[in-house]
Amino acid sequence: MNSKNLHLNEDQVIRSVVDENDLPATVRNHLSTCLVCLGEKKQIEQELSTLGRMAREFAPLPRREVRLPFYKPRSLWSRRPVFAVGFAAVLLIAGIWRYALVTTSQEKMMSQIMWETKKDEQLMAEIYALEEYAPVDVYPDIFAESDVGYFDDFLRFVSPLEVNQNSV
Amino acid sequence: MADTDHHVTELVEKARAGNRASLGQLVDRFHKDVFRMVYYRIYSPMDAEDLTQEIFMQMSKSLSSLKDAGSIRPWLFRIALNRVRDFRRKKSILSFFDTTIELEAAAQAAPENHNNPANAMMLKEFQLQFRQLTDSLSQREREVFLLRFVDHLGIRETADVLKRGESTVKTHLYRALKKFRQNPGLHDLLKGGLL
Repeated sequence: MNSKNLHLNEDQVIRSVVDENDLPATVRNHLSTCLVCLGEKKQIEQELSTLGRMAREFAPLPRREVRLPFYKPRSLWSRRPVFAVGFAAVLLIAGIWRYALVTTSQEKMMSQIMWETKKDEQLMAEIYALEEYAPVDVYPDIFAESDVGYFDDFLRFVSPLEVNQNSV
Repeated sequence: MADTDHHVTELVEKARAGNRASLGQLVDRFHKDVFRMVYYRIYSPMDAEDLTQEIFMQMSKSLSSLKDAGSIRPWLFRIALNRVRDFRRKKSILSFFDTTIELEAAAQAAPENHNNPANAMMLKEFQLQFRQLTDSLSQREREVFLLRFVDHLGIRETADVLKRGESTVKTHLYRALKKFRQNPGLHDLLKGGLL
C-alpha cells in the first residue's frame, strides 16, 4: 500500500465498513488519504444507511398499545407465605425428629425391662427348681457349706462324756 | 446521545424500584424498535404485535434481573430474538399440519400506511428486494446483518444479543456484506432512495 495508486480491493473495503480498526495500519493510512477508496467505503455505508432508513420508513406501525401488568419489586414482607411455609416445614421436621427420638428411647427402655424381666424369671426358675428338687441327704457332703457331720464330730470331741457314760 | 442513554438508564433504575410511570416510558421508548425488529423477522404485523406484547411482559417481569441498566437495549433485543425463535419453532410445527398459515402471513406482510403511489410502489419493490437479500443469507449472517444495519446496534451490542464473540459477529457481517454487494436490484433501489 505504499503506492497511492494501489487502492483497496473489494474485501478490504468491506472489512473497513465492518470495522476499520481490523485493517493493517498501512491500509488504514491509505484509506485515510485516498479519496477513491474513501469514496467506495462511504458509498457502501451510504447504501446501508439508506437500507436502514427505508426499513424503518416502510415498516408498519404497531396499532395496539402494550398493556403491562405491574409487578411490584418483591420486598421481604411480601414473601410472608414463603417464610410461613419454611417455618412450618422446620416445625414438621423437628416434630418428626423428636417423635423418632422419643420412640427410639422408649423402645430401648422397653427392651431393657424385658431383658431384666427375663433374667428375673430365669433366677426365679432356678430358685424354684432348687426348692422343688433339693438334693437328697446322701449328697450334702458335696456342698461346700454343709457342716452337718463336722458339727457332730465337734460335739463328740468337746464332750467325750458320752463315751465315758457308755463305758460306765 | 449520552443524555438519552443516561435518561434510559435512569428510567430503568426507577422502573426496577417499582415506578410504574418509568416502566411505561421505557415501553414507549422501545415499542416501535422492538415491533420493527420482530416484524422484519416474521413479516406478519399481527403476529409482530402479539410478540411485542409478550416481549414487554417479559421485560417488566425480569427487569430486576438486568445487571447493567445501561445495556437494556441489547437485553431487550435478546428477549425479542428468543421470542421470535420460539414463534418460528411453533409455526414450523403448525405449518407441518396446515400450510394456510404461511399464506396468511404473506398476505399480512404488506403494510398499508403509505398513501403516496410512488412510495407504495417503492415499498413493494423494497419488500421484494429486501426479502431476496435476507433469504440469500445464512441464519447467522441474516441475524447479524439485521441487528447491525436495520436495528442499528453496534458490534458489541450485536455480540451481546447473540451471545457470540465480536470477531464472530464481524466475520458473519463481512460475509453478509459481500452478499449484499452482489445484489444489483437492491443497489439500484437504494441509490434511488426515498422519494
